[in-house]
Amino acid sequence: MTQTIDTNIYAAVTEAIQSEAQRILAAGEVTAIVGYAAARRKGSAQPIVITSADDAQKLIFTPACVNNLAVYLTKAKKEIPKSGRIGIVVKGCDLKALVGLMGESQLKREQLYLIGVPCAGVLASTIQPDTGLTSDSIAPKCRECDAHLPQGCDFVPSQTPVTPELEKKYAAEIARLEALTPQERWAYWKEQFSKCIKCYACRQVCPFCFCEQCLCDRNKPQMVDTTPRPAGNTAWHIVRAMHLAGRCAGCAECERVCPMDIPLNLLNRKMAKELKELYDYEAGFDVHDKGPLNSYTEKDDQSFIK
Amino acid sequence: MQKHITEQNLNALLDKLIAEGKRVVAPRLNAGTPLYEPLKNSGEMITDQLPRRSGKEAFFPLCEDIMSYTKEGQKVELKDIDPARFPETVLVGVRPCDAAAIPVLDAVFSWDYKDEFFLERRKKTTIVGLACTKADDACFCTAVGLSPSDTKGSDLFLTPLEGGGYACETFSDKGETLVNNHAGLFSEPNNAKAVALAEPGTEAFDLKKVKAWLDEHFEDPAWDSIATRCVGCGACAFVCPACHCFDIVDEGTEKSGKRRKNWDACGFWKFTHHASGHNPRDQQPKRYRNRIMHKFKYYDDKFGQTLCTGCGRCIRLCPVGIDIAAIVEEISKK
Repeated sequence: MTQTIDTNIYAAVTEAIQSEAQRILAAGEVTAIVGYAAARRKGSAQPIVITSADDAQKLIFTPACVNNLAVYLTKAKKEIPKSGRIGIVVKGCDLKALVGLMGESQLKREQLYLIGVPCAGVLASTIQPDTGLTSDSIAPKCRECDAHLPQGCDFVPSQTPVTPELEKKYAAEIARLEALTPQERWAYWKEQFSKCIKCYACRQVCPFCFCEQCLCDRNKPQMVDTTPRPAGNTAWHIVRAMHLAGRCAGCAECERVCPMDIPLNLLNRKMAKELKELYDYEAGFDVHDKGPLNSYTEKDDQSFIK
Repeated sequence: MQKHITEQNLNALLDKLIAEGKRVVAPRLNAGTPLYEPLKNSGEMITDQLPRRSGKEAFFPLCEDIMSYTKEGQKVELKDIDPARFPETVLVGVRPCDAAAIPVLDAVFSWDYKDEFFLERRKKTTIVGLACTKADDACFCTAVGLSPSDTKGSDLFLTPLEGGGYACETFSDKGETLVNNHAGLFSEPNNAKAVALAEPGTEAFDLKKVKAWLDEHFEDPAWDSIATRCVGCGACAFVCPACHCFDIVDEGTEKSGKRRKNWDACGFWKFTHHASGHNPRDQQPKRYRNRIMHKFKYYDDKFGQTLCTGCGRCIRLCPVGIDIAAIVEEISKK
């Protein structure tokens, strides 16, 4: 049964974001703010960088504000001014990426002004942006959100989102895949990877894909076949999943932007589950110096050495 | 030539073509994603969804082998791919925005270098267009001089009729041959009215004015405000019916391998990365500028055509909501 999800607070949240943005830009507390602005299509939104207090009224928060804006603060995005303190509008899920980037010495907390968003959820990728938020139209990641109210921000509007309990789809799908034989599971992923067109949208939106030069873009030597064929596609998606293990906190941007509907976040969630089971480690709320795959302790599981 | 065909007979036509050994490519669902792909039977065809990728790949595939090599001792053997092996193809259910892009691509693929891969497939393919009945607010074919009933690029064009069946009109010898070879499946045109066609909401752009601005504004602060948000993926180019850049790579071992042609995209950092390490398009706005320039200026300068048919795919699929229709409209008002 379709459940309507209450997004009435988003109007008040928008107003609060605007007035805070206006204040901090006018006071010179930040040099720029990365947020969301309305776009041409009805109900749509797109990322925007504002540097003037006059532009604060352009900022919005609606169910179409799907992007994880953390990507704009990484060194991969050379276009965004990195001097001075930068403001950023963050949902709870996006904040986890910023926390991870701080842990990896990519960002310093004091250089950021975090405008947290009380969020009941955003729309799934293939939904028309003016669609109301319901249990059918909501993004899959929002069904298992544990960060409706971001913590530790510099400013969070006072509204509290109403968040109904929704069925968790990733957990169910991972359980289904785990129950398959290795051959069946391989067949499943082979089919999914065969759809890949190597547009690298998954890489480009990922806050953790900040390598100056991706391994997959190197040709001296050619580490990964660049053609969108089985060998290169599989190599790319395995490299991606492994490289994000213990780092990805589930913003699911990769999956949202995939033009070919490959369920990429399933791989990331599976890796996160492994890290939890093996090292009792979760990427997300706390700034860690080093993830478990970057450190060694004598307690590490060594049962794989046979 | 004008004819009528029932839905049942259209399916019979496709099944007959498949049985004759022809490759019949049409919109179908691949694990839930609509794509133009070869049909196993007519029942696979869907007509109610715009495929996620365009029809260009019937002529210009995502990836194709263009040569192979083997090396044994000092003996090196190179083998060309024989374009004669490309199958006779019928591309069916093509949206006007996709069909219209194909003659636009003819210009570049038969320009100073004749691309035999594209041209041979083109020669062997009959395009059956289908009038469009569903638009959303990303559609803007009417803004770039086309329409949901535009027959540009189609050899045979189908318009769905009230009460079922299609009005058929031929626009080339290929279209007439297709009808004549299967005359029994077609009947004389009747007076049925066409169903309501799609009505994209966008007004026509003044493309001359857009080009005039682009001619003078290679450097302009507008590019930063338009494209600072661009994250540099290839989604827009890869779903575009008119983008046609490709990369050539050799894959294999010392002993044997293939030379392959893959789609490429000007949004990628690597696209203009020189061997020296220098990159003339060092920031994303410069790369996105090329996308707009190529579509609305360079292609016009060179071939007198616009490299955009308003399908709206790049708008729907851009990870960061970049809206080419909004950008071009904004430029036309400058």
